[in-house]
Amino acid sequence: MLLTGLGLGVALGFTMQRGRFCVTGAFRDLWITGSTRWLTAFLIVIAVQSVGVFALDAAGVITLDPQPFAWLATILGAFIFGFAIVLAGGCATGTYYRAGEGLVGSWFALIFYALFAAISKTGALSAPVAALRGITVEGSTIHGVLGISPWVLVALLVTGVGLLARYHLRRRSPLTLASLPARTSGIRHLLFEKKWGAFTTALIIAPLAILAWPLSWATGRESGLGVTGPSSNIVNYLVRGDPQAIDWGVYLVIGILLGSFIAARGSGEFRVRLPDATTTIRSIIGGALMGVGASLAGGCTIGNGMVDTATFGLQGWVSLVFMIIGTGAATRLFITGSARVGVSPVRIPVPR
Amino acid sequence: MAQYVLETDGQVCPFPLVEAGDAILKLDLGDELTINFDCTQATDALPRWAAENGYPVTHFDRVGDAHWTITVQKA
Repeated sequence: MLLTGLGLGVALGFTMQRGRFCVTGAFRDLWITGSTRWLTAFLIVIAVQSVGVFALDAAGVITLDPQPFAWLATILGAFIFGFAIVLAGGCATGTYYRAGEGLVGSWFALIFYALFAAISKTGALSAPVAALRGITVEGSTIHGVLGISPWVLVALLVTGVGLLARYHLRRRSPLTLASLPARTSGIRHLLFEKKWGAFTTALIIAPLAILAWPLSWATGRESGLGVTGPSSNIVNYLVRGDPQAIDWGVYLVIGILLGSFIAARGSGEFRVRLPDATTTIRSIIGGALMGVGASLAGGCTIGNGMVDTATFGLQGWVSLVFMIIGTGAATRLFITGSARVGVSPVRIPVPR
Repeated sequence: MAQYVLETDGQVCPFPLVEAGDAILKLDLGDELTINFDCTQATDALPRWAAENGYPVTHFDRVGDAHWTITVQKA
């Protein structure tokens, strides 16, 4: 049954690589260009997933069990995580799938992310992290606090996101984008060459995110997609040899890596790419801060931002807001601001 | 009508896009800017940036595994 995690992970990694689904990019675009196209794609996943999750809950397939909201740790952790993903060049899943494309900078980010997640969850930093997460308020979900049916929120979210998607689709039509010349045809072209739209990609990821719930549940891991916990579990398994640490989530994240590698390899987009010194240091610091931030916040862009939001958890939505703010701060510092160093390109005039 | 080359290999997104945006400001109308890049996401971001700014794309192709080149004209 654990193998369903691997299968789902492969499908997810494949889709994210082909669709260029990057949550860091979605948050960053808000601050660089003001574009909400990728954020809309991300919200589509949340909205569609919320329908599925509450349907599964109503059908008794899963039982949502909201925890008290650790507000302080969530705010702090989400800000740190949002800041860190700009340095690392990708969020948790983004880092996994870029690692599968052969980006050595992402390998560094991934190793330090998993290491610091383990340090924060079960290692030297676990006491302060647990203490901060012990500071909670009574409420745990938005519909619980408001005392309304979650379906009211599902309807509002689906309508809102639908309108946003329609705005983007209407606006898109006059733009013709240059595309790469086709080299293949048929199913191979569709899978490995054709450009996948942002919203199409979101509509493939959403059912995978819904499916993750019952599949994971069946193995005793009672949650949906998640990346930080499984990454920490891998470290615990490796250093302590504890086979109990290998759960559905571990298979899932290994699957993401594998799926992205298959997609990149099949489309001629795999190459071992070495980063420069600045990028290497940023990847390491970013990865480490991601591990600490996600452990504090109780989840990453996926666990909190895409999954807990779909259950209308306060942790998910507060986390989403503070991750975006953290991304904005790092973007101002390292991308559009003065700390943009060492990447100035050489411009060569070519005589005609 | 000059041609310029911007090498962004090894830079991760969004740097190829940010650098291209900076570089094209320094060019004269009609000049062409070739951007060589190896960040996968830029295969989506750069053509979109060109289209949204009204810069015609005169060339866009793969150079090798995970290597691309795009040429836009300042207009």
